[in-house]
Amino acid sequence: MFLGIICLLVGVGLMAQTSKISGIVLSENEKEPVIGASVLVKGTALGAVTDVDGNFTILNVPNAAKIIRVSFVGMQTAEVPIKPNMKVLLKSDSEMLDEVMVVAYGTAKKSSYAGSASLVKADAIKDLPTTSFENALNGKVAGLQITSSSGQAGSTASIRIRGNGSMNASNEPLYVVDGVPVVSGDVGQMSDYTYSTNNVMNSLNPEDIESISVLKDAAASSLYGSRAANGVILITTKKGKEGKPVISLKASIGFTPSWATDNYEPATVQQQVDMLYTVFHNYRTAGKGETDAQANSYALSKLNGKFNQHGYVFTTAGTGAYETVNIGEYDNSGRGGKYYDWDKAYFRTAVYQTYDLAVSGATPVTNYYTSLSYTKDEGRLKVNSFDRFSGRVNLSQKIGKFLEFGTNVNMARTSKSGYNDTRSTESNYFMQTRNLLWGLYWPTDYKTGEPWTARYGSYAQNGVYYDKEWENESVDTRISAVETLTLHLLKGLDVRSIFSYDNTTVKDHIYYSANHFNGSSTNGSVTEMRTTYEKLVSSTTANYNTTFGLHTIGALVGFEAEKNKTDYVRATGEGLPTSTLHTVSTAGTLSSAGYNWGNAMVSVLSKLDYNYDQRYYASASFRRDGSSRLSPDSRWGNFWSVAGAWRLSSEAFLKDNPLISDLRLRASYGVNGTLPTTNYGYINLMSYTSKYMGNPGGTITTLANNNLSWETSYSTNIGVDFGFFNQRLRGTIEYFNRDSKDLLQDVPISTVTGFSSTLQNIGQINNKGVEFEIGGDLIKNSDLLWTASVNATFLKSKVTKLYNKADIIWYDPTGGDTRAQFIYREGESTLALYGYEWAGVDKTNGKSVYYVNDPNDSKVGDFEYNGRGATYDYNNANYKIIGNAIPKVTGGFNTNLSYKGVDLGLNFIYKIGGKLYDGAYKDVADDGYYWERIRAKSYYENMWTPDNPNGSQPALSGLDLEDAKQYSTRQMHDASFLRLKSLSLGYTLPKVWTSKAMISSARVFFNASNLLTFSKYKEADPEVNQYGTRGWETPIGKTFVFGIDLKF
Amino acid sequence: MKQFKYIIVVAFLGIMGLSSCSGFLDMQPSNSGNASTAIATPADAEVAINGIMRAMSSSNYYGRNFLMYGDAKGGDLTIYSAGRGLDALYSFNHSATSGSYSGFWETGYYCIMQINNLLENIERLEGEGATGFSFYKGQALTLRGLIYFDLVRIYGLPYNYDKTSYGVPNITATLAADAQPTRATVEENYTQILSDLSAGMPLLAENKSPQNGYIGYYANIALQARVKLYMEDYDGALAAAEEIINDHKYKLYEPSEWVASWSKQYGSESIFELGIDTESDLGTSSLGFYLMRYGQKSGAQGWFLASDYYLNRLGEDAADVRWGVMDNDEYWVDNKIERKGACYKYSGSTDFAGDGKETYTAVNIKIIRLSEIYLIAAEAALHATTPDKGLAATYLNEIRKRAPQLAPATAATISDDMILDERSKELFCEGQRFFDMIRMNKTIEFNDDFQGVPVSKRDKTIDRTFGKIVLPISQSEINANPALKNEQNEAYK
Repeated sequence: MFLGIICLLVGVGLMAQTSKISGIVLSENEKEPVIGASVLVKGTALGAVTDVDGNFTILNVPNAAKIIRVSFVGMQTAEVPIKPNMKVLLKSDSEMLDEVMVVAYGTAKKSSYAGSASLVKADAIKDLPTTSFENALNGKVAGLQITSSSGQAGSTASIRIRGNGSMNASNEPLYVVDGVPVVSGDVGQMSDYTYSTNNVMNSLNPEDIESISVLKDAAASSLYGSRAANGVILITTKKGKEGKPVISLKASIGFTPSWATDNYEPATVQQQVDMLYTVFHNYRTAGKGETDAQANSYALSKLNGKFNQHGYVFTTAGTGAYETVNIGEYDNSGRGGKYYDWDKAYFRTAVYQTYDLAVSGATPVTNYYTSLSYTKDEGRLKVNSFDRFSGRVNLSQKIGKFLEFGTNVNMARTSKSGYNDTRSTESNYFMQTRNLLWGLYWPTDYKTGEPWTARYGSYAQNGVYYDKEWENESVDTRISAVETLTLHLLKGLDVRSIFSYDNTTVKDHIYYSANHFNGSSTNGSVTEMRTTYEKLVSSTTANYNTTFGLHTIGALVGFEAEKNKTDYVRATGEGLPTSTLHTVSTAGTLSSAGYNWGNAMVSVLSKLDYNYDQRYYASASFRRDGSSRLSPDSRWGNFWSVAGAWRLSSEAFLKDNPLISDLRLRASYGVNGTLPTTNYGYINLMSYTSKYMGNPGGTITTLANNNLSWETSYSTNIGVDFGFFNQRLRGTIEYFNRDSKDLLQDVPISTVTGFSSTLQNIGQINNKGVEFEIGGDLIKNSDLLWTASVNATFLKSKVTKLYNKADIIWYDPTGGDTRAQFIYREGESTLALYGYEWAGVDKTNGKSVYYVNDPNDSKVGDFEYNGRGATYDYNNANYKIIGNAIPKVTGGFNTNLSYKGVDLGLNFIYKIGGKLYDGAYKDVADDGYYWERIRAKSYYENMWTPDNPNGSQPALSGLDLEDAKQYSTRQMHDASFLRLKSLSLGYTLPKVWTSKAMISSARVFFNASNLLTFSKYKEADPEVNQYGTRGWETPIGKTFVFGIDLKF
Repeated sequence: MKQFKYIIVVAFLGIMGLSSCSGFLDMQPSNSGNASTAIATPADAEVAINGIMRAMSSSNYYGRNFLMYGDAKGGDLTIYSAGRGLDALYSFNHSATSGSYSGFWETGYYCIMQINNLLENIERLEGEGATGFSFYKGQALTLRGLIYFDLVRIYGLPYNYDKTSYGVPNITATLAADAQPTRATVEENYTQILSDLSAGMPLLAENKSPQNGYIGYYANIALQARVKLYMEDYDGALAAAEEIINDHKYKLYEPSEWVASWSKQYGSESIFELGIDTESDLGTSSLGFYLMRYGQKSGAQGWFLASDYYLNRLGEDAADVRWGVMDNDEYWVDNKIERKGACYKYSGSTDFAGDGKETYTAVNIKIIRLSEIYLIAAEAALHATTPDKGLAATYLNEIRKRAPQLAPATAATISDDMILDERSKELFCEGQRFFDMIRMNKTIEFNDDFQGVPVSKRDKTIDRTFGKIVLPISQSEINANPALKNEQNEAYK
């Protein structure tokens, strides 16, 4: 607070004598007040800054003064003669410089902002068939990496800003909506049951978003302190515009008829049968030394044993290992020559629909925006759908001259039914169609015509039948209210108080009938869960801005408190009396659970900005946080930043340069943090969840660390903003370096202690890189505007220090299927893949060859292969770092063309370098598995056989090889790809037509998502999750949307 | 000051949020307490014992895998098809990195940590003069003895084969996070086990009545009998077994009662039974499911079924009452030829009666039954310092009469093999067979040819010279505790 007082004193000290001048500063084209313009009486040190209405008053102006100089960032400086009640019009310097961004606890002009932040406006995310805004940002902001590991409707995307700064704590940014930090990520408990996620951000209708600011460096984000190390995403919802009320209607419908790429396409039924035959044949010849004839008879008996029950019979002409098996009809089943199409049974052309109605407007004292929206998004899986009702009221009212009152209320109900999305043989449709469901299986028993209820030999279940025997649904109801009071206490001094309440209740419902394989032992079960997330945030800030002479000063001090509480209740009923009632209270046996957890935080914060003549900028921030997640001894921490900028283009030597229209240098340094994800990590807990025979039981569940602290990030950012040819070409280049220290890590400990790990602050990570955004107007005339922009991020993310220098081996946590193995090792990437080096297939015998990689002698091995020690047995080889899953460059490029009423936009995303680890291919390209599974076409075509000695995949074997399952380079690929993420084409109907129908604007549009993909990796979709791995998550599809947007 | 009212409004809103005060930052979960103060009274000790019992009912331990371990490896079970689950136990497909079944080690030491913590707290409280803990202390010591006995049997060679070989780390106090303990010898483990059991015995002696679902005095004595038998301390084993038999607190089932005993909790033979209820019910992954016929219930995968050898052995008497828990298996489904290879001890009965709870899969695990004590007594009497073949036959016949058509044993006919066969029949699927076979240095033959399931990691027959009769120390344990690298079991080095 004392900063503000100092500023006040300085301001007061400047007052002198004689006459008073006053006036208003407006923008030339829109006639909007220019807020914060600096007004200077020429030849004196007297000056003022315009207020919210653009008004200024300067007292005690000497009568000798004749001219005032009015300047504002992004506007051309004007010099006008002094007269009574002046009206000064400022011309825009350029469009791009003019952007006002929402930043931490306030707003800033992009051109005067010394931190690193990117702004995405509503225009950039419109038209897309997305239920949450994250995916729409893909490829639009340098340094921002967005991945969705699942194509299921309603699933949660993952966002990384400038790399991975944490091992154990969160790498997700902080989300702030309308000035208030919000709950983000996966909510509810359904992910424990079906391994599908439920993204709470879906409760925010993307149509309600006005702009999104991405805060990337410490100068931008340190005001958010201990939660800001991974960057901050600030979302601002829409407001009304002064003038007539605007009614806006938008409707769109989309179709997803196919996946975006091939995904582990299976071989034909004939090829599958031939492969299984070869496996059994080989088992008897290689495994038991039997003759071809004996092996042939065994293999046919196995095939018949497995598939006679499905109505097929098998014979071969010869007895060799690679016979083509005749597939005949068995027992007059009626299935001869016919195979069941499981793809068709499980997947559909998904339909996406969304309808938005918004009414907005403003008067000089009242501003309102209201909306109502309905969205229905089907997944391609028949059992996956999402819908949302949402409504919003944003209202602000000026009361008198001094007070402004704002309320933002959002209500949303989302409903999601999903499906298992991890490696599950029982219930992952995608995996089933690629790996488990033979065309020889049918959903009915040919003998009886009844549904086939037994588990198939491959361990798949008959989803066609079982889908009717279970249900799951997660309903999120979210109500958030943000009350804002702004008091213009004194000239230049605003006090703002925000109080917000955010309540998200997730109702999870999961039901299995007694016929379902999950309900058979309990005679039917139903589980209802309620998880209520309550978040209370209160912040009060005082903001003072003043100008004297060429000096502009802004100061902010504030206080913030936040409390988060989650209440959980579960009721389960087993033994259901009837299949028609799916409620807990009808059940024979009831069980329940209920408890709560939470955390709280108290903070003080302050910020000081200074600029001289819009040329030299300096700013500093400081925040002190206290968190309940840490022990009372270590719970307070300080976070701060300093930044400076220099606008070279305003200096005399560049001012009139015909080439350079803008040039600015920026630098910042600061400290921020990341909290542990556990709420009570510092306490040894005795947990009372292990009941025994109806009696309470307690066990010690954590080996805690009382000194637990936050992770601390030290970030440097150096940037250059430039514009050439009167801003026709403009861009930003930034260098960033972030050292994250005291990282939280579950240090593996000997399980003899009773625990497998303990949470410690150990280790350091460094993320550094360069990112750039360059854009320009290629053609710009009255009819035609063609713009293009490209962005790129070059990132290096390294582990720099570990506890006792000890390596930490870890696994991709996605889906809990340990699909990829990584290692944290000093000096290596934070996504260093760890495994065997697979040398390929020995041409002479079709076996897998591994390089031994003996650390002391590269020749050690069972034999030499390409001059290196090698082995057929992976057990004799050594693990090593086999690749880095962090790409060299990622980014996007966008181009927009508008000609008269037609607009065309293309948005590409790309990734160059880095490795992709395919954790699913092991299932569909298993060379040594005798189980009743199907294999990929690519395996069939590339497997080694005596006739195909150059095959890149090993020969089929009947022995229980486990080669495919090993973590090795065999499943690692180049991750580079280029994707046309979205194409949108719109046409705005001429006003002369629409005005007759009282429509002020009408636009029809078409959008296509994921239309084209180019990559070296062909097996499945190369757009993979944040760990660079692929598993059995539902892939994303190609979506085509048609829509109409009307304004009255 | 016109603005004053506005200041009040702003201040009001600020206060609404800031009405926090001291304690705002002190948050506690509502289902857990601070461990350092959790054990203060005997009632708290009871809660801790409950927690330990529940942890022991994990699928990694007595809930399923430990019993499957003892049977899948013993030759009395076989598999119909590979890949259904837990078949690595059968095929000995173990390595430090995959199929290490480290759950035994982790769950065992998790329980031992809870026990050590409880014992330390009791010691502290008793030092401060508190009383009323001795029975819980006796239970805790006995449980620690039991868990070490199980761990050393999984990771260490049989005591009577090589007791100087590596057993498991011998931990009797809670450890700091950075502790990296190394392995004790098998002999040191057995010394600890006997010491725990004898320290627990007098504490439990204050109440000799059956402790349904918990360790009681006779459970301690029964364990002593079992441990001493493994150590070939036959006199000690016989004395312990006879104390139980002669005290008559437990009673053998009549042959006519035997089948029905599986559908009851805490029968007259149950010296130590682990309670399984809805909370710990493993449902479709329970022992009941692992042993029932393929496809009989939705989700029944036909994981394990009896080998031909077992069926032939039990088939020595078609009227053996123990056929009563057996029913047709998958072979019958496929071939319509009777083969009663599916075991229903853990479903209550062949028609899924359960043992009196809501679901037929929530069936208690009978860890020590009086039958076993009679068989221990028989074996111990046969090998005691002064062997008594007549007495051995008497004890054996008490069990053998469950096969009414077989001639009773006599002093002239009784042999180790007869007792071992009786153990196989009586204790089928109770986690004993494999340990009996390697303890008695027998050759185990696997019924791999039953369905021609390929097994490449072991031969059709093994004996205790086969390195994989012990599990590997898992690679993740070695990673966290590198000193164990040199102490890895030979077959996995």
